[in-house]
Order: sequence, then C-alpha cells, then structure tokens
Amino acid sequence: MSNEATLIEKYASEVFAGLVAPALDGVQISAASADDPLAKEDVLVRMNHELQRALEKPASERRWVMVIDLRRCIGCHACTVACIAENKLPPGVVYRPVMTEEIGTYPNVTMKFLPRPCMQCEKSPCTEVCPVTATYHNEEGIVVVDYEQCIGCRACMAACPYGARTFDFGYNYTEQLPVFDGAIVGGENAAGYEHASQEYGEAWKREGKHESPVGNVRKCHFCLHRIKDGILPACTTTCIGRATYFGDANDPDSLVTELINKPNVIRLKEELGTEPRVYYVV
Amino acid sequence: MTKKITYAVGALALLFGLWGVYIRLFEGEQSANYGSYIGWGLWVAMYLFLAGLAAGAYMLAAFEYLFNVPQFKGTGKTMLWAALVTLPAGLASIGMDLGHMDRIWKVYLQPNFTSFLALMVWGYTFFLILILISLYLALTQPDKKPMKIVMWIGFVTSILVAGGVGFLLGGNATRLFWHVGLLPVQFPVFAIASGAALMLVIVGRFMPALEEKQRGDLLWLLAIITIATSVAKLYFLFADLTQSLYGGATDNVIAVQSVLTGPYAFMFWGVQIVLGLVLPVLVLAQPKLAKNGFVAGLMGLFLLIGYAAARILIVVPGQVAEMMPGQAEAFSGPKLSLAYTPSLMEWSVTSAVMGFAILGILIGLDYLLGYLARFTEAKK
Repeated sequence: MSNEATLIEKYASEVFAGLVAPALDGVQISAASADDPLAKEDVLVRMNHELQRALEKPASERRWVMVIDLRRCIGCHACTVACIAENKLPPGVVYRPVMTEEIGTYPNVTMKFLPRPCMQCEKSPCTEVCPVTATYHNEEGIVVVDYEQCIGCRACMAACPYGARTFDFGYNYTEQLPVFDGAIVGGENAAGYEHASQEYGEAWKREGKHESPVGNVRKCHFCLHRIKDGILPACTTTCIGRATYFGDANDPDSLVTELINKPNVIRLKEELGTEPRVYYVV
Repeated sequence: MTKKITYAVGALALLFGLWGVYIRLFEGEQSANYGSYIGWGLWVAMYLFLAGLAAGAYMLAAFEYLFNVPQFKGTGKTMLWAALVTLPAGLASIGMDLGHMDRIWKVYLQPNFTSFLALMVWGYTFFLILILISLYLALTQPDKKPMKIVMWIGFVTSILVAGGVGFLLGGNATRLFWHVGLLPVQFPVFAIASGAALMLVIVGRFMPALEEKQRGDLLWLLAIITIATSVAKLYFLFADLTQSLYGGATDNVIAVQSVLTGPYAFMFWGVQIVLGLVLPVLVLAQPKLAKNGFVAGLMGLFLLIGYAAARILIVVPGQVAEMMPGQAEAFSGPKLSLAYTPSLMEWSVTSAVMGFAILGILIGLDYLLGYLARFTEAKK
C-alpha cells in the first residue's frame, strides 16, 4: 500500500478511507518520496505537536504561517465550509474561498484550485488605511479586526490586494426558515446556533441589524481562538487532501519551515511588497 | 419661476430621500447594492463630488476676497455659504456609507494617522471650521486683515483637501485604475470646475441683486473658466484612459473597458461627456449665450450632473476587476458581485442629500445671508 493510502486508512474517517483506500492500493504517488517531510508522519499529528511546542514560547516569538500545496488541493471546498461552520459566517461573508480556474481547451483541460485565506501580510495595506486602528497586527503578527472599534468604512476592503475581506451586511442563513408550532422551530431558534461565533475568543451574539460584527469588515484570522487552545485552524484539520499546513515559521524544525524553504514555493502578488505569510507549494 | 421650481425640486428630493434615510438608519445596509467586492458606491462618489464642490466654491470665494477680481465682487459670501452647505452634505453622504456611523467619534479621539482616510476626516473638519470663520468674517469685517489671513489658509486648505481626496484613491496601489500619480493634481482642477458650474447656476438664476452688466461679465468669466477646466479635464481623461489601455495591465483594461464600452458606457459617453461636457462647452463658448442667465444656469446644471457622473465613474470602475482570478465564482452569496448599479434606497439617500443641499443653498441666499448681514450690521 502506498504511504497516502496508509495515512488515509489510519486517520481519515472510516467511510472515506473505505471508499478511497482500495483505489489507491498499489498506486505509487511520486510526491511521497523518502526525503519528503510529509512522509515522516501524518502531517496533522506532526503539526499538532509543533503547535503545542510553539505555544510554549512567548507570543511575540511565534511566526504563524500557512502553506498550501496546490498539487494536493482537489478543489473540494471542505476548507471553505469548515471555516464557515467554525466562525459561523453569515451569507455573503467568506474567509477562505477556493478560486477555481479551468485551464486549456477540450480535450486537454485541467482545473486549477487556489484556496485563498487572508495572506496575513507583514506589510499589510489594509491595516495602514484603517482610520481608527480597528484592524492591526496582534502580537503574533496576525492581522485581526476589533469589531467594537471598526467604523465600517471598508477602506481596508478597497486596499486588500487579495480580496480577502468581506463586509457583514447582517444576513442570516436561518432567517427565512418557516416556523410551525410543535413541528418546525424555525429561524429564531436556529439563529442561536448560527450566531454563536467564538472569533477572537469572544462570544459574538450578532443580534439585530446593527450589532457588531454586523456593519464590520471581516476576515480570516487563522482561527486564533482555536490556536490559543492548541487546536489547528479549521481549514487545516479539514483538508482531506492534506494540502494545508500551519505552524510556526520561527521553529526551524517545523513542517512549515521545511516547506517554505524549498524552491518550489511562491507567494501571491509578491511585487506589491506585502510580504504574505501564506505560501503556496507549486 | 425657476426659483419656485428649484424649491419644489429640493423639497421633493428631500421628501423622497427621507424614506431611504429611514431604511438605512433602521434597516441597515442590506438594501444597498454595494457589497464586498464593490464596497464603495454611489454615496462615496457623492461625497467626492460634494466635498469637491465645497472646495471649489471656497476657491471661487477667494476670487473676491483674496484676488479682488472685480467681476466676483459681491459673490464671496454666497460661495462661502454654498461651501458651508455642500461640505456637510458630502460628509452626510459618506456618513451614511459607514457600517457604524455611531463610531465616527473614534476618528477624532482614536485616529490612526497612517490612514489617509483619518487625515481627510481631520482635514475636512478643519476646512469646515475655516469656512465658518471665513463666512463670519465676510459678514463682519470683509476688508480687514483677519479675513485675508483666514482666506489664504482656507484657500490653501481647499486645494489640499481636494487633492487629498485624489490621494485617497490614487494612493491605493491595489487598484490600478485609481493608482494614477496625477490624481491628487486632477482633483483640485475638478473642484474649481465644479465650483464654477455651481456658480453658473447661482449667478445665472438666483442672484437678482447683481447688476446686469456684472452678471453678464461674471457669467462670461465663469464660462471661460469652465472651458479651460473642461479642456484640462478632457486631456487628463484622455491621458488616463489611453495610458491604461496601452499599458495593458489586465485589471486596468477591465476597468477602462467597463467605462468606454461596458456597463458604464452610457453614463460616460451620454452623461459625463455629451451632456456634462461637450454640450455646455459648446454653448458657453458663445458669449451671447453664456451671458444669458437662464442658459448659463442650465449649462451649469448639466456640468454639475456631468461632474457627479464623473465621480461615480472614478469610484466604481476601480473595483470591477477581480482581485484574484476566479474570485467572482469562488463563492456565492449576497453582495458578492462585481456588477454595481445603485439601488433605489441608495438613490433615495442621495436624493435626501441633494435636497438638503439645494434647499440649504436657496434658503441661505433668500433669507439667511440677508438676515445675518442685517444682524451683524445692527450689532455694529
């Protein structure tokens, strides 16, 4: 059995492994060579160990980065959905869409997938333009939004070269649900779940048309509330192709450090000088 | 007759606008058509337009108080008043655009001065105070030194704030359509052009106290200013658009094409160029027509409409290109669109702002300025 198949059997859900593992049996996947850092142990286990190690350091000594292996991304959008579920994102707000491009002409056609979280730029144009410092780098260097400070001017949205910010207009997925006494509980009850976001470690009720984060610009924050508790970002743990890696680039032994020091790594729109913390393996 | 009609238009605009203001204040922004990809729409454009108008009106007031241009004698107070009305109107327009307008005080008490937006809020607030002081001095001691000093400070400030708005867009390296080095230079020209257009309307139709000879001479001078600034604007526009197309950067080409041949083509060719520029310039180039109050006022109105359209056509096309290939289709949901046409609610709010500006200027001309002049005279 190939490494991939073994890993899937070991860690993925039984159903999924049952479906996919036979298909991979005997298939040699070239990406998993002996010197491949991904071959050492399951990346999720490894990243989890590294995360615990990083959390023992002072926050200012960590440098969180995300690495996305575009060769492994299959465009399943699981990361997008996981992010929405984790952060209780309302309609029209998305932190990590997957851009899909069709390349070539029939019959020589292929698809290219590009998951796009916030780039967490070290020289971020969005923080510079905020008139009230509502968006800024926290002590770990992650670009965050203070929902209680944001005036909703959307200057950061206009400044972001990656389109990584969306505005919360106050929509809810459940608001149109029908209500039928004793049978269907409807939107009012469902809203409690929908609104229970724990972003930035706070409970956001998001009630009414004006309560933050409604009227604010929102963005990916690498699931800081999970990291704080030693859990990897939702997009990372959910990636069925193990295409998303997360960790501390200041740790010389971390997986992300190994990956970003290889020559086949790029960052998006480097020419703008934004110094993104998201790297793509190509 | 024209005045009555204008009062009626202003009142109706305000009345229709109250509905939009109510929706915006109590229902939020869902019924606006701007979104997360085109985040700045009609209200931001109208802020640029009205703030530019205020700066231009102030510059023209300086023609009387600083440069002593004889044709402008007796018009300074009126233009200062126009600035005093249009600037708050512009600020109201941008205020409605804020997701949390209740937090605007934070820009004053917790500002981030690396943000040009914060600097502009401070700049326009300073400018508003200068307009107020200038108007007070114009009513009490127009020929004395304090007036000259304040007017000089105000004149320079008006150029800076107008240019600053250009910088606000031009400094954004992310949006190639805006990232034009000359934008901060262009905007003061746009400001004085729109100020002249407003003055054409006011002098042409709403200043009966002016002698006919002076009115005619002033209108002709304003016509010349209009023609000169229109030629300059046309050249700026030509240079911007051709340079963008020749350069061929994808985002820029998409933006320019949306203006020239895309969804905004009618607004560009029909409203901005033909109605708002070519027609008024052709008419105002005829001294006889330019000196006719009705014709000059009408052309001034067309020019103003053209300048307002021009602001929309700077703000919106700069956002129509995808920031990343595939962005538009990557995720679907409300407000995730690269197409933008203002909603009825947005037009309604803008209608309220314009109604306020129209009525404010008229009431000032008809009652307030005269009352204030008599009041200050009596105090003396």
